[in-house]
Amino acid sequence: MTPTAVSGPLYLAALRRRVIPAAIAVVVLGLWLLAAMAIYRDIDLGLYTDLPEGIRGLMGIPAEADTATLAYNVLFSFTGSLTIAGLAVSWGAAAIAGEERDGTVGILLANPISRHTVLLSRLAAGATVTIATSALAWATARLVPVLLGVEIGATRVDAMMIHLCANALFWGALAAAVGAGTGRARTTGAAGAAGMALSYVVAGLFPLVPGLAGLAKISPWYYFDGSEPLTNGVRGSHIVVLLGAAAVFTAVGVMLLRRRDLRSRDSGARLLDILRNHPVTDRVGDALAGRARVSHVWVRVTSEHQGLLVVTAVVMFVVMGVAMGPMYAAVDDPLATFAADVPEQVMALAGGGDLSSPEGWFQAETFSLMAPAALITIAIVLGARALAREEATGSLGVLLANPISRRRVMTHYATAMVAHALVVVAATGFGVAAGSAIAGLGLSQARIAWTCLLALLLGLVFGAIALAIVGATGSSRVASWVTVGLALTSHLLNAFLPLSDRWAPLAEWTPHHYYLGGEPLTSGADVGHLGVLAALVAVAFWVALAAFERRDLS
Amino acid sequence: MADQPILTRGLTKHYGDFPALVDLDLEVRAGEVFGFLGPNGSGKTTMIRTILDEIRPTAGSASILGFDSRRDSVEIRRHIGYLPGDLALYPDLTGRDTLSFFANLRGGVDWTFVDELAQRLAADLSKKVGDLSSGNRQKIGLLQALMNRPQLVIMDEPSTGLDPLVQHEFHELLREIASEGRTVFLSSHTLFEVQRVADRVAVIREGRLVAVEGLADLRSKALRRVDIEVDQPIEPDELDGIAHLDGVRQVDIDGRRLSVSFSGSMAEILHAVMERRAVVDIATREADLEEIFLTFYRDRAG
Repeated sequence: MTPTAVSGPLYLAALRRRVIPAAIAVVVLGLWLLAAMAIYRDIDLGLYTDLPEGIRGLMGIPAEADTATLAYNVLFSFTGSLTIAGLAVSWGAAAIAGEERDGTVGILLANPISRHTVLLSRLAAGATVTIATSALAWATARLVPVLLGVEIGATRVDAMMIHLCANALFWGALAAAVGAGTGRARTTGAAGAAGMALSYVVAGLFPLVPGLAGLAKISPWYYFDGSEPLTNGVRGSHIVVLLGAAAVFTAVGVMLLRRRDLRSRDSGARLLDILRNHPVTDRVGDALAGRARVSHVWVRVTSEHQGLLVVTAVVMFVVMGVAMGPMYAAVDDPLATFAADVPEQVMALAGGGDLSSPEGWFQAETFSLMAPAALITIAIVLGARALAREEATGSLGVLLANPISRRRVMTHYATAMVAHALVVVAATGFGVAAGSAIAGLGLSQARIAWTCLLALLLGLVFGAIALAIVGATGSSRVASWVTVGLALTSHLLNAFLPLSDRWAPLAEWTPHHYYLGGEPLTSGADVGHLGVLAALVAVAFWVALAAFERRDLS
Repeated sequence: MADQPILTRGLTKHYGDFPALVDLDLEVRAGEVFGFLGPNGSGKTTMIRTILDEIRPTAGSASILGFDSRRDSVEIRRHIGYLPGDLALYPDLTGRDTLSFFANLRGGVDWTFVDELAQRLAADLSKKVGDLSSGNRQKIGLLQALMNRPQLVIMDEPSTGLDPLVQHEFHELLREIASEGRTVFLSSHTLFEVQRVADRVAVIREGRLVAVEGLADLRSKALRRVDIEVDQPIEPDELDGIAHLDGVRQVDIDGRRLSVSFSGSMAEILHAVMERRAVVDIATREADLEEIFLTFYRDRAG
């Protein structure tokens, strides 16, 4: 039999696994678009169209901005593109490294198929799903205005979707190359998500800084919407860059995979192991990796995701914290002009805050999106996913043969979740304080601490919801996707609903309202908001305990 | 401690419409090694997971060491050691870290004893569990189940992956536990293992208990086989007298060799053969558990 590059059965099996998350993404994106467009239809668009030309350009809003353009722009330039690219990172990272993580690569390769056939079949399936998802999202984007009776005018939603699809394929292929080269699915997934977030920030911020605008081109995200495809149509050269890079990454992935030893399980050297094996640090390493690590269930759980914790904490401290101070100092003049011209409602979409003040800058750049995203991710991975994994692998059975109740096991996982979230939020808070001090911006340390506390609680709200879903179902996938969906919905509703007087009161039903709704970095403590978030955490955790106590473990 | 470390009454577990365990009444006595036999999918693991409160019974109840399996599940786990059939541990921890982790949850573990056990089973505690072969990983699982000298040891297919020398040592350990008055509940489809160590055996089939017998009683009821060599070839029609004797199930002939499967006394068979030919050689073999097991399934099927 001639070896082929792509195996039909592998391709179809991978396709089936990826269809459901993609279908959910399309439906959720469609519903968000419906909500966004309905709200834009209701409000006076003058607040956008009257903006000075330079600012409209920066925001990707054409002179004759209409309801459809604004809704497409807000939804697809951020949430939609990150969602579809995030799904692509997920299939890319798992293409071959997922089999190694699960210990199934041996039995798979006992069949007459080569390594690169496995990789290419999975990539072909992933690419098919991404293209189909983008096509369906495009169809939804055309359907929603018809349903609402909104004219879409000259808006090039087709061009936006082509760029969005190419961008997702880029990130999927990059994750596949890293996964194929390292055999580590989880690290690759985390690095892919961090890379995407970084790229998004660089592409958004560098053009604001005089002298750095040209450097934005190093960010892959620049090739997604730097050319404003919604207004200007498809930029062929940018598509070529994204797809060309995807092809190169695929080739690199195949090459790296051919050369390395496959892992039987994902148990390579971790940070603590490196400390433990080095003669200088072996004592400290042994205490941390040995005695301390096995002292309690929550400590052991916390030690399992050292890579993810370090990457997230460092990115939040350095990029979203320390660097943001000098960055503000570099752009405060253009920002002040920008802020003076942009109405409050529009700024609310970027996380609120007055961009002409350093508090507003940090609120918009660090706290509105990145801090909750990092904290919610950490909370889900360290709480719900870790517990679901313990149940799926079977080690929960051995653990529960010891004199420890299910309630205590759940509490330990919640403790691990809080411990990790604390590290990330502390890194963020100290980073922001350091950034403010370096640039002499004079942010109140108490207000930074208060905002961080609210961010921590917001992360824990969604972390506890994920724990409750795992407690009730045992499914890591259901818990992750449902919780991420709820968190994004909460964020978007909280951003959109206040635009319309009619819908504004409904924003109070989202957890996000109690996070930045009171502008804690500017206005200081609002104990009521803290109380609401703390109560939500308590209720979700109570549900998690009760559900886990009742269920038959799988 | 209770006289019956495991006592179930009408224990039933359904998965949807599928009855995985039906009306199980079982009594395990203190100080015995109790074999729990059944083919794959017969309900062995479901029974263990139910009495350990991992899953909840649809009906009936179980008492472990005198405690209610649901209400007192945490207290029960203070006194038991458990090795699941599909063992999973934490791949990032070394063997010693793994044992320390469970020792911290239990308290009161004597490390001199743990090291002695590790030596007897030739377990490597310095490597990460994820880097061990399946047999060596199984040894870590055995150690965590035995290290706190539990009153009741529950093991699901414990010999998986162990080499014959380690298996032998492990069986010695099980006999020592029973001789100290502690109890071992050994679920297995490896008949050889149960045959070597068990005092009593329960046979389960399609979720229902087929029989509970002492191993000696079971053997006495079972078929045995005698191979007889005679001085002259024997004709098939000469065998009728033998084939119709009480207890004789089957007679095979091959020239001067005669093979008879029977239960009960051998005297009549020998007498009948010696009436026809002179006996040159004779060999008897006790039926092993496999034959007993197959007999149970054949005779009680349906």
